[in-house]
Amino acid sequence: MSLRTIAIKLKIPDNEAYTALTALRRLGVEIARLERAEIWQLEDGADAADFEQRVECNETLFNPNKHELHVLDSDRPREGEVWIEQIDAEDVPVRIAGVTRARRYAGWRLFTHGHAPADPQTVDTAVERLLCNPAIERAITP
Amino acid sequence: MSAKVAVLVFPGTNSEVETWRICRDVGLDAEVVHWSRAACLPQYDAYVLPGGFAYEDRIRAGAIPAHDPMMDYVIEGSQRGKLVLGICNGAQIVLEAGLVPGTGPVRKPTAAFTRNGPVPHFVCKHVYVKLAIAPERCAITAALEPGALIPAWAAHGEGRLAATAEHLREITEGSHIAFVYAHADGTVDERAVPNASALGCAALTNREGNVLAIMPHPERDAWNYNHPDRRDGRDILAPSGGVALFEAFAEALRRA
Amino acid sequence: MPNFRVNELSDDELREHATRAGLALRVDELRRIAQTLGRDPSIVEVHAFDAQWSEHCSYKSSRHLLRRLPTEGPTVMQGPAEDAGILHLGQAHGANWGVVIAHESHNHPSQVVPFEGAATGVGGIVRDVLCMGAEVIAVADPLRFGRVEDAESHQRYVAQGVVDGIAAYGNAIGVPNIAGDAYFDERFDDNCLVNVVALGLLKEQDIIHSAAPAHSEGWDIVLVGKATDTSGFGGAAFSSVTLDEEDEDANKGAVQVPDPFLKNVIMRATYRVCEYLRERGVTAGFKDLGAGGIMGCSAEICSSGGFGAIIDLDDVNTAIQNMPPEVIAVGETQERLCWVLPGDVTPDVLRIYNEEFSLPQIARGACATVIGAVQGEKRYVLRHGGEIVMDVPIDFLTGSIRDELPVRPMSEGKVTDPARRYVVGEHDLRQLFPRVLAHRDVCSREPLYVRYDGAVRGTTVIPRGSACAGVIAPVFGAPLGVALAVAGNPRFSKVDPFLAAQYAVLEAVRKVVSVGARPLGLTDCLNFGNPRNIEHYSELVHAIEGIALAARQLGTPFVSGNVSLYNESKTGNAIPASPIIACVGGMDDVSTVVTAGLKRSGSALFLLGRPQNAAGGAVFAELLEQTGGPVPPIDYERAIDQIAFFRAAADAGFILSARSIGNGGVLAALAEMAFPTLQPGYTPIGVRLEPAHGWSNGAVGDFEAYFGECGGFVFEANAADAQALRAIAPEHLYLMQIGHTASEATFDVGSVQFDLNELYECWHAPLAQVYP
Repeated sequence: MSLRTIAIKLKIPDNEAYTALTALRRLGVEIARLERAEIWQLEDGADAADFEQRVECNETLFNPNKHELHVLDSDRPREGEVWIEQIDAEDVPVRIAGVTRARRYAGWRLFTHGHAPADPQTVDTAVERLLCNPAIERAITP
Repeated sequence: MSAKVAVLVFPGTNSEVETWRICRDVGLDAEVVHWSRAACLPQYDAYVLPGGFAYEDRIRAGAIPAHDPMMDYVIEGSQRGKLVLGICNGAQIVLEAGLVPGTGPVRKPTAAFTRNGPVPHFVCKHVYVKLAIAPERCAITAALEPGALIPAWAAHGEGRLAATAEHLREITEGSHIAFVYAHADGTVDERAVPNASALGCAALTNREGNVLAIMPHPERDAWNYNHPDRRDGRDILAPSGGVALFEAFAEALRRA
Repeated sequence: MPNFRVNELSDDELREHATRAGLALRVDELRRIAQTLGRDPSIVEVHAFDAQWSEHCSYKSSRHLLRRLPTEGPTVMQGPAEDAGILHLGQAHGANWGVVIAHESHNHPSQVVPFEGAATGVGGIVRDVLCMGAEVIAVADPLRFGRVEDAESHQRYVAQGVVDGIAAYGNAIGVPNIAGDAYFDERFDDNCLVNVVALGLLKEQDIIHSAAPAHSEGWDIVLVGKATDTSGFGGAAFSSVTLDEEDEDANKGAVQVPDPFLKNVIMRATYRVCEYLRERGVTAGFKDLGAGGIMGCSAEICSSGGFGAIIDLDDVNTAIQNMPPEVIAVGETQERLCWVLPGDVTPDVLRIYNEEFSLPQIARGACATVIGAVQGEKRYVLRHGGEIVMDVPIDFLTGSIRDELPVRPMSEGKVTDPARRYVVGEHDLRQLFPRVLAHRDVCSREPLYVRYDGAVRGTTVIPRGSACAGVIAPVFGAPLGVALAVAGNPRFSKVDPFLAAQYAVLEAVRKVVSVGARPLGLTDCLNFGNPRNIEHYSELVHAIEGIALAARQLGTPFVSGNVSLYNESKTGNAIPASPIIACVGGMDDVSTVVTAGLKRSGSALFLLGRPQNAAGGAVFAELLEQTGGPVPPIDYERAIDQIAFFRAAADAGFILSARSIGNGGVLAALAEMAFPTLQPGYTPIGVRLEPAHGWSNGAVGDFEAYFGECGGFVFEANAADAQALRAIAPEHLYLMQIGHTASEATFDVGSVQFDLNELYECWHAPLAQVYP
């Protein structure tokens, strides 16, 4: 059984990321760009070789007309990134061959300029001011 | 002179008209005030935050509008004792702004109306809510009878009360749950709850009792025509049913 | 400007050249364009014609057929000339009120990206209503899906995504969903149907037309909404080509992205602009952008006023730099509208959109801007980068074109077994009734529509699903009521497209009548296969004849509609002929509304409708594997008299509750009247029916009487009124008391007793699998 982490990103315009960016800037978080992705952590009992292909077969998770699929090489957020998880979230039943458990997170990646990831303090400020409601959510940072 | 009530419109609000109509029908001097006119908010005696999808519930329902400049005025007013009624999305905003249950600092929420359970999708159902506190515990419900039963429409995807165990205890011990979901005959059980809300909660109030956040919409079952089977020959256009909450709200403003 | 080579190429070369460029224009059409212009068209021009002459914009193979529909009558405020039709509702507050109705499909996009496709469908239909100057007051969604039993199938994904998309959009903009239906059939496996209907409300004097007004030469053309991007480029052509698996990948650029948040704000800003224009006494032109984008909309609005237009594409607010002019011109970015305004009001209108409602802060690059002007010369001119990139006679671009296509004479439909009148063999009612209620076309739709906001605006009288039609009271402070219902039965279509089309009209009308409303008018969305296939085109022609016949007979006009062709996949799976009809009803006093839930025990239960020995296309015949018989014929004289009788009885207050008879027949209709009484906190009311051989003196088989789908009404009346009702009903109506209500929660048919709660479970459970 291996833990595999994927990010599903929209390749069509992401209105939600745009609104979040505008709101964060208004709250004094100095970032230039914001990317949003659905992060899934999947417990997989099958072969890594065809993992991506198996995920792509699940239309609910991944529709090639609007999504990009990235298999991440780490099961932790990268620099400038935060994953938000609902505290009382249960495992989501997903239909992917070989996959026995799935957890879902909202992933946000902040950039101070161009492709430069935001520093941990900026990410923390964004989390605290807007991205996470601590009554119901938990933020996972690198 | 009757109290001046502002019905707030954030970008994405969608229930402002019916909310304004029922406020007017109970004799309030209500006006729809939208985000580009936020600066005039201090002149109002009370605020009603209607339903909708302010900022399309992006990030979380209520998260972005809780930081909208309009909320600066609402928060300030509520701290000075003005009445605030948040309905559906308005309730979500009031929770995100930390006004209700109000057990933490402003804009540091201690609870949320979040994704419905057991299946996380939008639910539109006719419901009843039952007053679960002593009426005078909350100024807005003070004129209601104990255990008052009010018809409403639940229409939300994020209406399940959720909080940490500690915060839920504070909510219970502080009598913050103003209304619970009930059946038409007033009985309360799990089947009456459309969204798996903790403690069957349909509405929360703050410690001071001047802010009420209610998830279902009483203004959508507030005239006889909304419920023709219950009419018994009365004027089809007359207020009824859900109007009770707004009458109590108006009464509270008259008493204030 | 770069040209698209036409003149020097042979037909074969030209065909290949056009296909490579992604054009759907045919060789003869390209030659006609080059000939009329006297030169090779520019790249921009050829894309403009490609969009404008697509089936989607030009209705080239159907427009002449639609002239057969009745479109006039005392209820018509505006017939089918613009984006939406308008019906007279009644008078209140010193004004004549009109109900605007528009009806469209978004089938192909929904098959590929179900959520976005369906959501943009709602977005588009709402703009059609909005641009008449109306407030949007309701939506409805007739849906047709494939087999959804397999949880991992694409069909299941489509069925869920479509519903979620409609919910996300309609809920966010705050328009109640009050009607709709859903059918499931294997022939929709590769091609779902997502039809959407929207209603609007306005005063007659406030109608805004989709045309540049008289004397508007030199007026501003103002584009409002989302920044133009590359999404939806080729969308119009996209809807008019046959889908196959490979194309789904290639259509990436055609995904239209919905933004209901922006639309919510645009709607409210537009209401404010309409109010401002009324205050100023200004007549403006207003039209939504759909197929053909900026080009299609600005050309149509100006040519309908008898003018030309000049547009500067550099003034269009784009989301991406350096977009090619043809993409700016014909791309189908969502959430856009176009005004024609006199220059002196333009600054105020721009201020309302851009400042008061702060569009630029709502969505990246959204705004209202002047992009061009109306011109007297009847040419359509586009400038880009300081050059003229398009300059064509406007009427040639927007004028009607017509494809002559071969039609086969009407046959006997697809009745494979014309002699089959009865179901044969011994069948057990005890087993069959629960199976009928659990059938995919009969079972409860609640798991689906519970996701739609049905009560926003506070005007809802009868919400979705609790009767055969939804009812709202949209005029504040006045008792006027509006009812809405949809119909169109693919099981009938598979047997007899001509009769099925007639039933679609009759059923939509009866549904509206069943809630106590008077039918005001109709819309149609005609969903068919490839018109170049004689079989499918003939079905279209015959269906139009069918709906025209039924509408004429019932005296109910069509005021708007839509045609969606090429609904098939290359695997040869064409959809059943699907004329989908919406009917709007009006009520002077909504307090006379008839609801569907049984009211009390001891009431009389009546059947108003004649059972027939014809089971073709009926649910029970399918369950008994005895399909193939004829669809029951329609006796219009009797149907009209039954409707008149029902309305008179309803107006006189005789009818306590009612439903029209549809899928699953009389027993299903009565069960659905009893189910609402099972809710906690209510008193259950049961049903006691006489055995069926008493209903027709044995002339009709029992199962045909219980489950036949020839229509009519069932209703509850006070036992004390039963004799009076029978006395005033002429014999040819077939009004029969078939039973009464009781205080136990059972459903008795003669000596066969069913537990009402068990029946409810059978009826409610199936769709909850698909929509948990």
